[in-house]
Amino acid sequence: MSLFRQDHVVDDLTIAGHRKRGPGSAVVCVHGAGVSSRELLPFVDALGERHDVWAIDLPGFGASDKPDRPLTLSALADVVAAWVDQAGLERPCLLGASFGCQVVVDVAVRHPEAAAALVLAGPTVDPRGRSPWRLVGQWLRNARGESPRMTPLNIADYRDAGLRGVLAAFGESIRDRIEDKLTHVSVPTLVLRGGRDRMVPQPWAEEVTRLLPYGRLVVMEGLPHMTPYRDPGGVARCVEDFLSEVAV
Amino acid sequence: MKPGRVVASFDSATGMLRALSRFLHGRDVPLIGQGPATAEPVASALLGAANMLPRRLQERAYAASGWAEAVPPHKVGSIRSDELARWVTGHYPRRRGQVAFVGSANGALIHLCAALAAPWLPQTLLIPVRRRGVRPDEPREDLRHTRAAGQALLSANPDLVLHHMHDANQDRLMIAGMTYFRVKWRRLPAAYRRYLEENLAPGGTLVVADCGLRWPVTEVDTRYVFQHGALGGATRDEYQNGGPRVADYLRRYGSPHRRWDYPPVDGQRPEAEWGFEPGLLPDLQELAARNGWRLARMSFAEPEHLSPVIADLYREWYQHRGLPADRLLAECFLLLEPWWTLRSGSVPYWMVFNSEPSRASLTGYLDRADPFEEIRLLLFSHGVESVGLATIERWREVLARASKIGVFTGIDTRAYPRDFASLARAHRELAQIRATVPMPLPMDWPTAEKYLADRDELQWDTEANGNTSAR
Repeated sequence: MSLFRQDHVVDDLTIAGHRKRGPGSAVVCVHGAGVSSRELLPFVDALGERHDVWAIDLPGFGASDKPDRPLTLSALADVVAAWVDQAGLERPCLLGASFGCQVVVDVAVRHPEAAAALVLAGPTVDPRGRSPWRLVGQWLRNARGESPRMTPLNIADYRDAGLRGVLAAFGESIRDRIEDKLTHVSVPTLVLRGGRDRMVPQPWAEEVTRLLPYGRLVVMEGLPHMTPYRDPGGVARCVEDFLSEVAV
Repeated sequence: MKPGRVVASFDSATGMLRALSRFLHGRDVPLIGQGPATAEPVASALLGAANMLPRRLQERAYAASGWAEAVPPHKVGSIRSDELARWVTGHYPRRRGQVAFVGSANGALIHLCAALAAPWLPQTLLIPVRRRGVRPDEPREDLRHTRAAGQALLSANPDLVLHHMHDANQDRLMIAGMTYFRVKWRRLPAAYRRYLEENLAPGGTLVVADCGLRWPVTEVDTRYVFQHGALGGATRDEYQNGGPRVADYLRRYGSPHRRWDYPPVDGQRPEAEWGFEPGLLPDLQELAARNGWRLARMSFAEPEHLSPVIADLYREWYQHRGLPADRLLAECFLLLEPWWTLRSGSVPYWMVFNSEPSRASLTGYLDRADPFEEIRLLLFSHGVESVGLATIERWREVLARASKIGVFTGIDTRAYPRDFASLARAHRELAQIRATVPMPLPMDWPTAEKYLADRDELQWDTEANGNTSAR
């Protein structure tokens, strides 16, 4: 089985999905701010050997339809919850990458029936770094550790989303108070941090895990912020172990 | 020579003295107490760069750093134990308290003292002495070359017993250019006496920390014993008779030997680093009687026997204060942080070293204790892939016991056991923890004493006005 495209329509918007249909339970991946599922496809390919894995493009990003105006974080979360329903998935595991973590946490808190487990790969935004300039500084410092092969993908993503869409997503990520929501996540949650992630400092990753009622932290040594792109096989093994442990 | 230059700064006793005295001054322990927190980023970067050097160069740099602070043999005779004792007591604030400790070095004891805001006066100090022309795997030669210096030290200091120690397993790099003189006071030095009289209140309790660990030794002279090997990864039998692990270790390090050649053993004595020399007791009894103090003797068979006792004490204390008590800080050797332990609401579990027996003792504690949500691990790097070293994978298994967060703190897992940056990074990373709790008032001594006296791991004997009782 290989990766294939499967779209759904949610609230009159076409949501692009990339799927690899492995034998196990469903996992839905949600990308970061301004980007798309492009960076997640190698990971979908790796985890798709064992699980039914999806990566979707949020509305306004990648190959999905653009709404009239950029959606707020809670509107994006509502779309994800509706998409889960539309796709006929029964309580999948939602995996967020970077800003995607903020989206899936919002889904889990306001639509508890939508997810049976969460994976937060590089959860943003550290409250102590919550300013545009700090975020840019962290992003630049982190960029040195990311794979150079990711840059053309990012550029294509930013082109797809447009400047307004990218800035809106970053604005939403800064405004969102994820720390207030984590205590209300009632499902098992795996927090993943790259050991060299400059956007998610270790003390913040620990705090995220501490606030989650059923959180567990795994630090992947030597990896930057985008762990699923840098080490798709390693992250897939981690997620597989977690899913078999929580029996999702 | 200044006493601070005579005594090894990298040793357990000095590390513990710095950690506790800083705590009693209300301070934490950046750079193992050797420098200010502001120097940590630079030290961390420099030592991090050292982690990337080729292995041979790293080992030489480590050995050279030890050699640089060792005493030249011709100056050993001018060392005076009174000055060392004054140097020790000079670390502590002047403050009247209900309890004070004297005796064996022990990391768990440091946390007990921190909880009680009580001082501890070490019986043992390490004096490293420079030496040339001896390979690490030749303990007999080490004694032959440095015996004269040992005798000079003892003739100048009749109140000391010398435990000349040689551990070619764990101290391999350090003993490349020096030898270890561990000295134990058998008479109470004047500075200790004065300090206790000024700082222990009438009716107070003087507690003797009495670690009963003994080791085979060679009696060299009156008050002079030689100890081959030490507590850690290799067994006593392996030190004495060798074995496959020892032969493999010696082969890996390019040694021409397959076992160690050491002077014949003719008895057992208190272990050089941890054991308590009971010759000091009469002086302590006399001092306690004269000042109207109770003398309590807290005896435990091995250093780590105190660790679960103090871990449980902290856990109960947090619970009593209404705090979660589900965070464990596992510490190793001289990597100790009493201030951040309390600030982060952590239960301290101290391990003698980074070896397999210490890992097993921590695992044993985790098996018996209620689960911990968080486990942080500090690991001392001694630069040697020694016999019985617990590998990073084995430590990972321990961290996996945490239900939420199990993390190495300040450790470069790829560099361990040659991760010299951990000396700077351990405190730096620990101090970044965001979950902090208010610092408590000192623990009430009668409550703590009752708790300690009831624990099976300890023997608790008290003497007041000539009457002795034991529990």
